[in-house]
Amino acid sequence: MALPPHIAAAPVGPAASRLPVYALVGNPNCGKTTLFNALTGLKQKVGNYPGVTVEKKEGTTYSQHGQPITVIDLPGTYSLAARSPDEAVTRDVLLGRRADTPMPDRILCIVDATNLERNLYLVHQILDLGRPVIVVLNMMDLAVKAGLNLRIGRLEHELGVPVIPCEAVNQKGLIELRVAMSRLEIPLSRHAWDVPAKIAPAVAELQASLSSNDQKPPLIARAEALLLLTDRDSVRVSGSTPLHARTEDILRTWKKRWEGEGTDWAETLVKSRFAAIQRITNEVVQRAGETGPTKSDQIDAIVTHHVWGWFILGAILTVLFLSIFVLAEPPMNWIDDQFAAASDWIKAHMTDGDLRDLITDGAIAGVGGVVKFLPQILILFFFVGLLESTGYMARAAFLMDGLMGRVGLNGKSFIPLLSSYACAIPGIMATRTIESKRDRIVTILVAPLMSCSARLPVYLLMIAALLPAERVSLGAKAGIMIGMYALGTVAAFAFAWLFKRTLLKGEPPPMMMELPAYQRPSLKWVATHMLERAWSFLRQAGTVILGISIVLWFLSAYPKAPEGANASQQLAQSLAGKAGHALEPVIKPIGFDWQIGIGLISSFAAREVFVSTMGIVFNAESSDKEDTKPLREAMLAARWPDGRPLFTPLVCLTLMIFYVFAMQCASTLAVVKQETGGWKWPLFQTVYLTGTAWIVCFIVYQAGRALGF
Amino acid sequence: MSPERQTIVALVIVALAAAWLGWRWLAKRKNPGCGGECGCDAQRINAKIKRR
Repeated sequence: MALPPHIAAAPVGPAASRLPVYALVGNPNCGKTTLFNALTGLKQKVGNYPGVTVEKKEGTTYSQHGQPITVIDLPGTYSLAARSPDEAVTRDVLLGRRADTPMPDRILCIVDATNLERNLYLVHQILDLGRPVIVVLNMMDLAVKAGLNLRIGRLEHELGVPVIPCEAVNQKGLIELRVAMSRLEIPLSRHAWDVPAKIAPAVAELQASLSSNDQKPPLIARAEALLLLTDRDSVRVSGSTPLHARTEDILRTWKKRWEGEGTDWAETLVKSRFAAIQRITNEVVQRAGETGPTKSDQIDAIVTHHVWGWFILGAILTVLFLSIFVLAEPPMNWIDDQFAAASDWIKAHMTDGDLRDLITDGAIAGVGGVVKFLPQILILFFFVGLLESTGYMARAAFLMDGLMGRVGLNGKSFIPLLSSYACAIPGIMATRTIESKRDRIVTILVAPLMSCSARLPVYLLMIAALLPAERVSLGAKAGIMIGMYALGTVAAFAFAWLFKRTLLKGEPPPMMMELPAYQRPSLKWVATHMLERAWSFLRQAGTVILGISIVLWFLSAYPKAPEGANASQQLAQSLAGKAGHALEPVIKPIGFDWQIGIGLISSFAAREVFVSTMGIVFNAESSDKEDTKPLREAMLAARWPDGRPLFTPLVCLTLMIFYVFAMQCASTLAVVKQETGGWKWPLFQTVYLTGTAWIVCFIVYQAGRALGF
Repeated sequence: MSPERQTIVALVIVALAAAWLGWRWLAKRKNPGCGGECGCDAQRINAKIKRR
């Protein structure tokens, strides 16, 4: 095959004075991160690209002669026409637009062997850059299972670059890859595709301007010219070098001219590229006979059915929440007993004094109150891990997409919102993949409404400990729990609908989503996922909650009441008591007194601190100094000054609803500020969420009282 | 331990806890990333063991 006119440069190798830098690029879910981890092991450095919240991952691997090679893992993208900040970083690094990251010497293009045609679009664009490229055909095992026979030699011939078959997950093909990466020179691509003649003048003029005004090497300038002419909605991120005004002018002029002619030359360019790719795949991919629907397709016909799919989703959620109550009770009681026994032992062996009170009423009551919910956290994340591992979560996303589209939410919002059920922080960080800034902010604004795991102890304390067991069945308890999760989800959709029609108007783009094949769950993965969550929970309890419990004990014990005052009088005149009393006029209309007020203030640090605060407040108030009462008994005994019980079922319900809505998490606010670049949105979020919490609680409590509850 | 000594030790522990919480808050303001709490570690581990 003759070399196209734009490929005329000599093979490019790394500068002799430094080690080669490889960039890893590929479509999302092509196994890029697995390959990066396999190549670099633990020699990784994770940071952020300056000025933009996109993770920068660099690692070191070694050539066959033991020479270190730097590898940069770039965010996954389907094409160089970026639609989100992550994709814009990949584009900018490859085009040499970022001053903070030098253009890589060589590029490793990771390709999903089971879906060659779609993956080759990005490869094709990258080959235009005229840089040394190695194509890695990953997931070869799955391609074979799918009945695909890939002619590697033919693909190498068509693209003109080394092609290495690989199974990154099984560490197969890595030696061959390292050998290829160790080569001193890698040939430049000889691929050719027909740029329509009518477009050629525009490409040439833009290429000339990019070369002379933007100082781009000729081949990069040509590739960028082709990209600019097809990229309709160019995303710019901080740190990206802007184009020269002359180049912008030329681009505008050509686009205007094409609009006037009424011909979509941009689409023609894309079609021309796909035609070239189609020709390559026809040569390379051989299918072993006609294949009917796969097992996954057959299962999906039921699981993603517009009626049965919802039944199955409902059944799975019911089983999940019932398990949380049924299976967790014995270990929870055991943990509770251990903390009570430890507290009693200390009371029996230490003389009365502040240190003893700090240990029993502060540290043990605070930490123990939270740690007892560990079994439920483990069960929840065991089920979540199981659903993710089998591939069911993607089906749940598919079912929800229709619903989300109706309220104007972007389909890509599903994963951030789903992550927010574990914790809003990773959920909010996951919104970086959403291309539209407005859709991204809407998702960030509603993400904290998804009930995170930190709310679980609050819900469980209210449901399991305070709703009378003789009147409330297990099914009803699970129903209330599902109701709280559903309330947050419905509220998130309602607010998204409202914001998309008022503050942040805009049409959501259509969602493109891959449904991975169902697979047997990996118990190792599920166990790691579950234990990691447990460790996170225990570390939070052993550090932040312990620290807050100690400080809170001090605030509830000082200043000391005059000699002869009882525990209740001591708490009332303490610093915490005074803060609670100051808040009481605001929260009394929703059924909360000053003691609950202390919990609301302290749980702004983290929601689960409410439980530990209740442990401290009601233990401190308890007059029985020698025997530790379970928290629920102490709370059930709490009274208003007029003798009415404080924690009625209505108050418990109102309190749960308050925690569904209220913005009670300082860490989430810090992340929202980081992701939105200022205090405007976090402040708005706090006001609208906490304001809604108060209004909804007021309606529920007052209506409940009027109805005699 | 006498009640007076208990008070001194308890107040020292409270001061240390308050100082640690304050330091943590300041450190978070400077670098408000995920900081390894609330499931971020889970994300990192997931990425590491992600099969595909």
